[in-house]
Amino acid sequence: MIFSTFEHILTHISFSVISIVISTHLITLLVNEIVGFHDSSKNGMIISFFCITGLLITRWIFSGHLPFSDLYESLIFLSWGFSILHIVFGFKKHKNDLSAIIAPSVIFTQGFATSGVLTEMHQSAILVPALQSQWLMMHVSMMIFGYAALLCGSLLSVAILVITFGEVIQNLGISNNLYFLNESFSFAEVQYMNRNERNNVLQKTFFSSSRNYYRSQFIQQLDRWSYRIISLGFLFLTIGILSGAVWANEAWGSYWNWDPKETWAFITWTIFAIYLHTRKNTKLESVNSSIAASLGFLIIWICYLGINLLGIGLHSYGSFTSN
Amino acid sequence: MKTLLNPLNSSNPCLLKTHFLKVPIFNPFFKFKPLPHNTHHARIAQVPSFAINSKLKSSQDINNKGKKSVSQKIVLSETSSPPLADGKVDINGGSGSENVPVSSKKKGGVSGLAKKLSKKVLQILSNLNLAIGEMFTIAALMALGTVIEQGENPDFYFKNYPEDHPVLGFFTWRWVLTLGFDHMYTSPVFFGMLALLGASLMACTYTTQIPLVKVSRRWAFLHSAEAIRKQEFSDTLPRASIQDVGTLLMGAGYEVFLKGPCLYAFQGLAGRLAPIGVHIALILIMAGGTLSAAGSFKGSVTVPQGLNFVVGDVLGPTGFLSTPTEAFNTEIHVNRFSMDYFESGEVSQFHTDLSLLDMNGKEVMRKTISVNDPLRYGGITIYQTDWSISALQILKDNEGPYNLAMAPLQINGDKKLFGTFLPVGDINSPDVKGISMLARDLQSIVLYDKEGKFAGVRRPNSKLPINIDGSEIVILDAIGSSGLDLKTDPGVPTVYAGFGALMLTTCISYLSHSQIWAIQDGTSVIIGGKTNRAKMEFPEEMNRLLDKVPEIVESSSSQQVDTITSG
Repeated sequence: MIFSTFEHILTHISFSVISIVISTHLITLLVNEIVGFHDSSKNGMIISFFCITGLLITRWIFSGHLPFSDLYESLIFLSWGFSILHIVFGFKKHKNDLSAIIAPSVIFTQGFATSGVLTEMHQSAILVPALQSQWLMMHVSMMIFGYAALLCGSLLSVAILVITFGEVIQNLGISNNLYFLNESFSFAEVQYMNRNERNNVLQKTFFSSSRNYYRSQFIQQLDRWSYRIISLGFLFLTIGILSGAVWANEAWGSYWNWDPKETWAFITWTIFAIYLHTRKNTKLESVNSSIAASLGFLIIWICYLGINLLGIGLHSYGSFTSN
Repeated sequence: MKTLLNPLNSSNPCLLKTHFLKVPIFNPFFKFKPLPHNTHHARIAQVPSFAINSKLKSSQDINNKGKKSVSQKIVLSETSSPPLADGKVDINGGSGSENVPVSSKKKGGVSGLAKKLSKKVLQILSNLNLAIGEMFTIAALMALGTVIEQGENPDFYFKNYPEDHPVLGFFTWRWVLTLGFDHMYTSPVFFGMLALLGASLMACTYTTQIPLVKVSRRWAFLHSAEAIRKQEFSDTLPRASIQDVGTLLMGAGYEVFLKGPCLYAFQGLAGRLAPIGVHIALILIMAGGTLSAAGSFKGSVTVPQGLNFVVGDVLGPTGFLSTPTEAFNTEIHVNRFSMDYFESGEVSQFHTDLSLLDMNGKEVMRKTISVNDPLRYGGITIYQTDWSISALQILKDNEGPYNLAMAPLQINGDKKLFGTFLPVGDINSPDVKGISMLARDLQSIVLYDKEGKFAGVRRPNSKLPINIDGSEIVILDAIGSSGLDLKTDPGVPTVYAGFGALMLTTCISYLSHSQIWAIQDGTSVIIGGKTNRAKMEFPEEMNRLLDKVPEIVESSSSQQVDTITSG
């Protein structure tokens, strides 16, 4: 019993810490740049990382098996994956733009998992015979890390598309609401003052003000981040799919059954392979590949949650209907 | 640090293009005639012009299969060879830019036409946009295959995709059945797309990627400061020496080549070559998958405890390449079937003890299998996939034992319900009543009397009698039956090899290939570099490295080396 209260406490701590981090980011974005908050948001993410780690370890010890057996646990693992990504990639740069995307992802994932929709799954359950295997560890952890990285990277690509086309729409005078977007990204100007690198400047006809220059620099920066993170995610996804296939061969005798979940994982892999290949063509590489990555974002959610909603096929362990 | 040659003429320092291959894995494309001195330890300036015997493989030679490749003799001296442009090299031509006489053989008429046609086809197939389109189409077909129900009878499609109000306005059952969408993953459309993608993969590997190996092994020095300043990252160190830069780069893990005032360093070349491995691994997986689909056997059987079966009776072929082996004559005997349970009563694992007997009745293998732990013998693999209850063995009024066959009443994954019926009284009357026995697993049996009222629960091991409607029933045993899946698959080794290669090469292709050029211009060093993947971290890493370069401060009498950070 003590473990479940411990779990509750950890969940609540991480939830509230991330809410605070997100609020500071919103304040920074909308009001003014408050320099001292960067450290505190970094510390906030570290605290939530430790909370989620503690949560997972508690469940592991309590139930005797790795916390992968159903949807609730895999969602908590996904939010853990997000916070690891933040720590690994975020500490390389002093000014971390990534946390604006990662922190809300963590909180939404965890909030969804903890919410009332899945309450019956909060108790740790036993593993059915088919899941009692060493491959469970590798396959599920690689898949979820892959999803976390790919989701993060594709959100960055969505951000690129929003900035690129938001500017177009705004300059056409269609919408004035997007003006605040331009203002809010001006904080990125500071770090581009001293760069002397040659840049692939987006040749737009209204390239006049210095703000456009910094915006294109920002887009380029986001583009590079997105490429690196998606490459990492692609790597994890490949390993996850292949280890799943080998596991299926050991358990059921055939490494590919065209199960809906397997098929959609393969579709996700294909879309991100398309992403990587569209970057070979250096004209318009950021826009085309961002479109592919944004499509990938939707497809990951179909693959991860949509198939489980239907509850069919060999992966029905993670469905809402099964207990 | 290796000094290959010191030039005689200091104004054109980097004219000589050296092709110096270090990694022994690749076949040497160029063979050096041995120089009068040992090149590895050369620090002294020697002969600036030397003769290289080389076998040039131009693109014409690739087409002239079987004909001897022409060998030319190239004499390089500082007067005859033209100055090199910066590192761009033509992929197709190789070293065709040097003035070398190439005598090519004449191509005969029809074979020449076939060669030109195949070259054109190869060019079309290795187009990147075509490949992206193919991948997209395959993804869309797969998605469609999950939306449309697979493997149902035609009636299902008549009902769900009717012609009078078609889905999306045009999609009727005619589309589904003619295009084969009811068995999407084995339909000709899907296979055709996969075959096309495979052809594209092979064409791309041949035309673009293998020449990439040759290109990336060629190290071209940049000889002009403007070329270096045009790189993605460039910087100038006012008072530095290029030797220090070279040493620092070597310490950071780069491979450094220094020739006079020019420097070239690179790191992570594997990251550029690994995508070739990825494509080859994919081709391997596709080949293995084809072999599996066309050449394997599969079958499944439910065997009650104590019975046996012959392997060959159970297996059926899947394609035209399937050939049975000697091991198909093996007889398999199910010695015992047992189940493990959790404390809550649910099934945790089920095991089958199997004996394999050959044609002479000799036991060749014995193993207990369970889920995730199959048996492998002679290319055949036996998996434990399912279980059921076949019969109850009971004593009625101390008569027996009677075996009552159990029938499945409800199956929901691992939650199953079996039942059997023992008639009481007149068996031939139309509404015969009896004792019903239900079981969820082999642990306990629930008994009901002839009115359907609950009578009691008994465990088979306890052998406790129960009295129902005047009869005394003793449940002796619950006999389970084991659900086994058998399979032979000749493509598995190929596919596993492809999987391993794919995992490894995908990991390696995450590395970033960085190249750095530098030139010593008087007392300052101009340095520039680029990288193909880690574009964000590269400038910071370079800046950190350049901060460590010592600044050379000249005093009136001697040279002092200061460690004040520069750059």
